Amino acid sequence: MADLSVTLCGVTLKNPVIPASGTFGFGREFDEIYDISCLGGVATKGLTLEPRRGNPVPRIAERSGVILNAVGLQNPGVESFLEHDLAWLKGKTRVLANVAGRTVEEYGRICALLDGKADFIELNISCPNVKSGGMAFGIRPESILEVTRAAKSALKRTPLIVKLSPNVESIPRNAAAAEEGGADCISLVNTFTGMAIDIEKRRPILANNTGGVSGAGIKPIAVRMVYEAAHAVSIPVIGMGGIACAEDAVEFLMAGASAVQVGTANFTDTLACPKIIAGLNEWCDRHGVARVSELVGTLRLN
Amino acid sequence: MREVNAVVLENKRIAENVFSLTVSTDDEIPIRPGQFAMLGAGEHVLRRPIAVCKAEGERVTFCYQVKGAGTRYLSQNYRAGERIPVLLPLGNGFFVGERETRIAVVGGGVGVFPLISLIRACAGRKEIFSYMGFRNKAALCMEYEMQRSDKLTIATDDGSAGFHGTAVQAFMQDIEEIRPDAVFSCGPVPMLRALKNAVAGRGIPVYVSLEERMGCGVGACLVCVCDLTDGRHARVCKDGPVFEIGEVEL
Ligand SMILES: Cc1cc2nc3c(=O)[nH]c(=O)nc-3n(C[C@H](O)[C@H](O)[C@H](O)COP(=O)(O)OP(=O)(O)OC[C@H]3O[C@@H](n4cnc5c(N)ncnc54)[C@H](O)[C@@H]3O)c2cc1C
Ligand SMILES: Cc1cc2nc3c(=O)[nH]c(=O)nc-3n(C[C@H](O)[C@H](O)[C@H](O)COP(=O)(O)O)c2cc1C
Ligand code: FES
Repeated sequence: MADLSVTLCGVTLKNPVIPASGTFGFGREFDEIYDISCLGGVATKGLTLEPRRGNPVPRIAERSGVILNAVGLQNPGVESFLEHDLAWLKGKTRVLANVAGRTVEEYGRICALLDGKADFIELNISCPNVKSGGMAFGIRPESILEVTRAAKSALKRTPLIVKLSPNVESIPRNAAAAEEGGADCISLVNTFTGMAIDIEKRRPILANNTGGVSGAGIKPIAVRMVYEAAHAVSIPVIGMGGIACAEDAVEFLMAGASAVQVGTANFTDTLACPKIIAGLNEWCDRHGVARVSELVGTLRLN
Repeated sequence: MREVNAVVLENKRIAENVFSLTVSTDDEIPIRPGQFAMLGAGEHVLRRPIAVCKAEGERVTFCYQVKGAGTRYLSQNYRAGERIPVLLPLGNGFFVGERETRIAVVGGGVGVFPLISLIRACAGRKEIFSYMGFRNKAALCMEYEMQRSDKLTIATDDGSAGFHGTAVQAFMQDIEEIRPDAVFSCGPVPMLRALKNAVAGRGIPVYVSLEERMGCGVGACLVCVCDLTDGRHARVCKDGPVFEIGEVEL
């Protein structure tokens, strides 16, 4: 029985496995299938100041080894989450409140509302900045610095995770910008922008035309990016992108992630997360690893 | 809601492009008519939503049409004795009120399959008038199950079997005579729209089962939404798939 616990920014998680934002709601539905208190934490659906309706359907498409989604941040708003869901979820496991805004000020205001309440804030910066022509906050290092500073200054008690977008020029530079802005931790990757075409109709399958690509097919790119980020900063990194089994999680840990998130795999198998936790324990036992945290960043390059 | 590694008992062709898959879930899982399952399809990342057609003890039967790669996988890869990942039961299902003693059941295409579970649940307890539409005679299947209705009308688009026309047209010919207390329907959206228009103003409650592309199937990912007439969104997988017809935009 290996010690699976990990400590991130002074907060201890019973294991490093966290369902990824947007694939697990606020945890209530999956808790009808298994007791979600077995999880290291839960990253919530992206929360915004006001409720959002999201995009028209179809919102999902499938391709070999991947899916594309364009949900468009449908959520009941941060107030509703605070009132109805946070206390319940905190009674189960660690809460990573994933937040999104349209302006730098909005990010600050949402963070202030969640400060001292969630265990972590995870800043989704892959959203368009309405004040700068709609380019996502997470593309350029300067805007990452700005939005991270705004969020950090609103947070007195809750550690800040900045979730990096992979649709960028340089992961190391963007990771460094988040650290400089005051991030306590980095998570990556968010989804890759993609398109899937219905060739009979000569139209994109998604109503939104483009969508975020996730799932097993993105894993090698995500591992490379996590490796780059982990070596560019001294704060901890949470890795994700295509994790479907314990061996996948071990890859990310070795690349430098202190914990992992699991998204799309929850759709293929609702028990993916508990299976990964059990599999990590077995893997550690088989390899004589007493503590899972010993694996972090142990990759040796050729 | 349970995640089951079910055993395939039978997976056989029952009509042109339509298969019937019976699995054993090891122990009996309570399933309401109109509920569905998410079926694992090998290397496919997403599971496929398929209605429960029959539930008898631990034996559950699904009927599915081969449409694309996922349903083709189901038809070609699951032989008796193999395991299939099944998540069930999902969604709200059909609810038939105490006072609704005479019910009409109107189905089209693959929409007839969830309605079979309703007919089976209500047979002998309600007076059931069923109108089931198929493309043609070659697509016709599960007739013996539908015959549990007190009156069954088969309709085909080309007239190769039964009534020549749609299930809605067949139903509207009878509506004055049968005077149903409620209507239960599932089928393509144009059919549901035609039904909505046809029964408008009669004060008969109509319940429809909708289809939408799904991610999780359990209500967590918000991929499968439909528009409600009050402007809100509902999740087809969790709040549905059955809605009162006036409640949803079709
Ligand atoms: C609640 C519910 C119950 C259903 N019950 C039945 C049934 O009993 N029998 C039956 O034959 N069919 C049923 N369907 C439709 C069935 O889910 C689709 O035909 C099937 O998913 C198509 O998959 P594919 O891989 O063959 O097609 P592809 O087009 O290759 O599928 C690509 C993706 O789109 C999704 N998709 C495509 N068409 C539909 C659709 N009409 N509805 C939902 N998702 C779709 C697939 O699930 C997959 O994720 C039901 C759908 C829902 C939502
Ligand atoms: C349906 C869906 C919705 C998502 N919603 C969000 C979101 O609201 N906020 C966010 O930061 N990431 C969101 N993501 C991205 C995931 O959290 C994760 O970063 C990505 O899917 C890669 O991991 P995976 O390959 O394990 O799925 C979403 C992903 C999916 C598939
Ligand atoms: S499919 Fe995930 S909410 Fe319906």
